[in-house]
Amino acid sequence: MTNPVSLSIDGREVSVERGVTLIEAAEAAGVHIPNLCHLRGMKGVGACRLCVVEIDGSDVPATACTTKVKEGMIVATDTERVREIRRFVLDLILSMHPPDCMTCAKAGVCNLQRYAYDLDLGDSSFTRKTPGHAVEEANPFVRRDPDYCILCGRCVRVCGSQGTEVLRFHGRGLGSKVVSGTGSPLEESDCTFCGNCVDACPVGALLQVEVAKRGREWQHTKTRTACLACGSACDLVVSTNDGQVVKVGSAATAGDEARFICAIGRFGFEGQRGHMRVSRPLKRVGGELLETSWDDALSLVAERMLAAAGEAGIIAGGSLLNEDALQLKKFADGVLRTKDYDTTVSLYADSGVMLTPGGDLDAADLIVLVGLSPDQWTRVFPALDAAIRDRVSSRKAKLLVVHGGDPRIKTAASIVLAGDEVGSLEQLCRAVIDKGLAAPPEMVEALAHVTPSADARNAADLFAAADAPLILAPAALYVAAANLALLKGGAAAIPFEANARGIARAGLEGEGKGFQELVQGPSPVLYAIGDLPLDSRPDTGFLVVQSAFMTELAGLADVVLPAAAGLESDGSLIDALGRVKHVRRACEPAGEARQHGEIFSALAEAMGVSLSEVESPGGRFVEEGAPGFARFVRRSEWDIDPATLIDTLRRSVVEGSRLAWLAQLQRTDAA
Amino acid sequence: MNDVTEAVEGYTCPAQRALRHLDAFLADPMCGQCFPCALGTYEARTRLESMTRGEGTDDDVRVLERIAAAVLEGSKCRKGKDAARFLAEAIATPGFGEHAAGVCQDRECRSLTTYAVASDICVRCGACKAACVNDAIFGEPQQAFRAGYPAFEIRQRRCERCGECAAACPHGALRATDVALARGRSR
Repeated sequence: MTNPVSLSIDGREVSVERGVTLIEAAEAAGVHIPNLCHLRGMKGVGACRLCVVEIDGSDVPATACTTKVKEGMIVATDTERVREIRRFVLDLILSMHPPDCMTCAKAGVCNLQRYAYDLDLGDSSFTRKTPGHAVEEANPFVRRDPDYCILCGRCVRVCGSQGTEVLRFHGRGLGSKVVSGTGSPLEESDCTFCGNCVDACPVGALLQVEVAKRGREWQHTKTRTACLACGSACDLVVSTNDGQVVKVGSAATAGDEARFICAIGRFGFEGQRGHMRVSRPLKRVGGELLETSWDDALSLVAERMLAAAGEAGIIAGGSLLNEDALQLKKFADGVLRTKDYDTTVSLYADSGVMLTPGGDLDAADLIVLVGLSPDQWTRVFPALDAAIRDRVSSRKAKLLVVHGGDPRIKTAASIVLAGDEVGSLEQLCRAVIDKGLAAPPEMVEALAHVTPSADARNAADLFAAADAPLILAPAALYVAAANLALLKGGAAAIPFEANARGIARAGLEGEGKGFQELVQGPSPVLYAIGDLPLDSRPDTGFLVVQSAFMTELAGLADVVLPAAAGLESDGSLIDALGRVKHVRRACEPAGEARQHGEIFSALAEAMGVSLSEVESPGGRFVEEGAPGFARFVRRSEWDIDPATLIDTLRRSVVEGSRLAWLAQLQRTDAA
Repeated sequence: MNDVTEAVEGYTCPAQRALRHLDAFLADPMCGQCFPCALGTYEARTRLESMTRGEGTDDDVRVLERIAAAVLEGSKCRKGKDAARFLAEAIATPGFGEHAAGVCQDRECRSLTTYAVASDICVRCGACKAACVNDAIFGEPQQAFRAGYPAFEIRQRRCERCGECAAACPHGALRATDVALARGRSR
């Protein structure tokens, strides 16, 4: 804390950062001030008036969500005077809210229920109002029942701040209603079904559609983990009931506005028990894949691998967890004794780029997106799109887009540099140097011939004015984009899969054949692990597929080893921005499925080697400190379309869950 | 806020004034931004409607007092607080509480008032019949050569209790009575 303010809240002395509101300060002191409309991290609106408190020296109660702390303030949050205001407001809300806590899915986590209990309010003493609005339940994700709505506006503000801007108020006061678009159903609006409005709703007006009775909130076991669907690796809270996943939500604290997770992360969990799931080992007998035992499957694979004598190849997906990746590295080096192993990461990056430092979005006051098109609507880095739009709309950061195409994120940008990204970067760097920022002499020399455009000069003004710019680029453009960070700020390469950075640190990259060569073959045995963007059988004598899902590739295998899915795994990963995240097992693997690392050990055992006795390869580390100047080039061999890659990787999850409805809707819209 | 002030012009009854005021307030200046005002004034209007309809109780009066006090204390802006002050003044005005007993002293709450012709005073001049816009008065005007006709009567089902007849009667034969009293209702 650079500038602390001390105050007293209900007799507790607390010291907080200048500029925070009373509601946040109270939270720090361990005092909860009731509220229905406040969203942490967002400007208070003072609508519900539940957060009223008394401040010494002030005649009238003040709302804690809109009042900033002052030195020496003495605040009382639970006096009879403010309790009466709270009772009055809650009593009125209860008069228009259906009194059916006994069947409401929100019971136990409903704020209205909680405060009504705290203030001893039962049935309302006011006239019962029954608006009788229609329930919206045509889509399989979000159920909206306006009769339960208390008009707090949290959903409207969450939807607006993340830039989706679908929900809004129609009308005023008690006659008003939250509507989407022009009052159309959600599926006809711009809604992406991220479901963050559901998390924000303090009552049961917005609920996740229940496929089956999932039990009451207090029966759920909650596990914090991370999503493996893309490089954002969003934090999740997984609710299980009787060992089955029943709900997935954002792991941010309740009432926090920075809670974005996308529809894949929230609703994809059903795919783990969907028809695409594979939960028993399979082997090919007479052209057909039949169920078999683990022992049989493992001894079959072990036999083929021993026979291949170092010629076997391994390809793995980029969402393999750190611990599993290290086990696989040990297996490849110490058991299979092959140099031919590689991962999907090499399709869009190399370990050199993946071992560079990440970035801190929160610290940035200018975000420079180079050649990236995060997009909530196509669900390519949707969380990055939402995070950027949120920072732009709350004026925490500005956005500069350098992109050759037409990305939707440019609507949030202050300046867009169109045309070839490398050319734009050269012009931008030159324009920034012209403004007097220090640059390495090689860079000045390399840019001697460049004349910046007017747009580039404007962008340079923006860049020079920023305190902490953060440059984000795919690996193909990272080297060129990082030159900008030599002038100011930081740069991070954004990989497309959940643990690309972790896999690079584990050194899962053999000296032999690369991914494409291994797919082209020929090889005596190919061991294909995890989610892979392959639809046809690689040229190999014996194909072993180890996956949680019956993908196209698994359908072509000789042996299929059932692996644990994301929510069934334990371990850690390093996300696209370089943060380490824990992945915790929320439920037991389906059927006989096992986690990847366990399968590697069992397979080694079947080959007569104990994996625990193989020397650990040791990880590789991130090069700290600024890299030197590199030429302005695009590594076009890494130019792949992330949308296609990500779509292929998560196809099984989508097709095995209600996300299939959404995919169908998008295909219809596109046609 | 002009509409709100205009809305109560011409009314003396505190219950009517409060109701008209809230009607106008809810129709326009109320922004709906904060809960006490948006929900409280709506509830107050519901209660006032019931009081001016003759269905009010002492509980309604207590609830209205609570709303006025809480909206004044808890609402966000001056508009809500002004509405609450107006309501509080109306409740404190003599005659307001009597509405709970079915009495509107100002004869402006039509559901609480009934009109009748006092037959001993009526001279059958016809002034009331000419003034009645609803054709609710029954009877033949006095004519010099005829006698024996009964006094005028009001057909209650047609009567809208506007009071025009009472104003027109030169003899004070048309009298307003409390509905509660007329029906022998006791509270």
